[in-house]
Amino acid sequence: MSIPLWREDFPLTSAGEDAVTRREFVRYLVLASGGFAAGNVGIALWSSLRSINEGEPRSIVALADVPEGTAYLFDYPTGADPAILVHLPGGELRAFSQKCTHLGCVVYYHPEEDEMVCPCHEGHFSADSGEVLAGPPQRPLGRIDVEVRDGTVWALGQEPESAARAIP
Amino acid sequence: MTTTDGDSGYRPPPPRPPRSQRELPAALGVFVVVLLSLQVFLLTVGLDALLADDDGLAWVTAGLSVVLAAGSAAFYRYLR
Repeated sequence: MSIPLWREDFPLTSAGEDAVTRREFVRYLVLASGGFAAGNVGIALWSSLRSINEGEPRSIVALADVPEGTAYLFDYPTGADPAILVHLPGGELRAFSQKCTHLGCVVYYHPEEDEMVCPCHEGHFSADSGEVLAGPPQRPLGRIDVEVRDGTVWALGQEPESAARAIP
Repeated sequence: MTTTDGDSGYRPPPPRPPRSQRELPAALGVFVVVLLSLQVFLLTVGLDALLADDDGLAWVTAGLSVVLAAGSAAFYRYLR
């Protein structure tokens, strides 16, 4: 009796098959679970050990160039960190990271509502404190300390989010 | 009247196969799959904590993840 043609194309035999038993499958799952646990510990270690650049003091813009009720965009602490300076009605200055704490879109100042608004998912933040007013964000905007020196606005450093959370 | 083992039809149970050859209950596999799904969820929570600079949440997540992994290993080892 001759060998069927398909046997030549697919020369598989039961002896060559590598069966995975239920026990082996569960063992793979347990190993994967251990891998996830190791990954989570690694993430926690990374989170604890990494240094966060909170920025060095530097000048941003002349105060006269930012009238009340307007905003000025700048980068702080690095060129890859968009930030926004807001001159509130009444003369107060506030500066925040422009990254929305939801998914990282940039927020804009809306003077008519006195709010910072993220257009991506309608996140609303207080322009005074950076606290979340509405929308999906759960954390306040990262706040940047500013002060006026000789008519120029200076950024003094970015508060860590844990400190920003404590703002009343 | 007394009987012997052979008379009463008694047969000793077959010897239990070694542990490595016994079949695992399917429920155990399902349980470990559920634990693994929780691990995936915890990984997303850990990454979110990392992006939010929330060290406390990251460590709590890591601790839970280790407990789940240890639980999976314990079930695999003992619940058969």
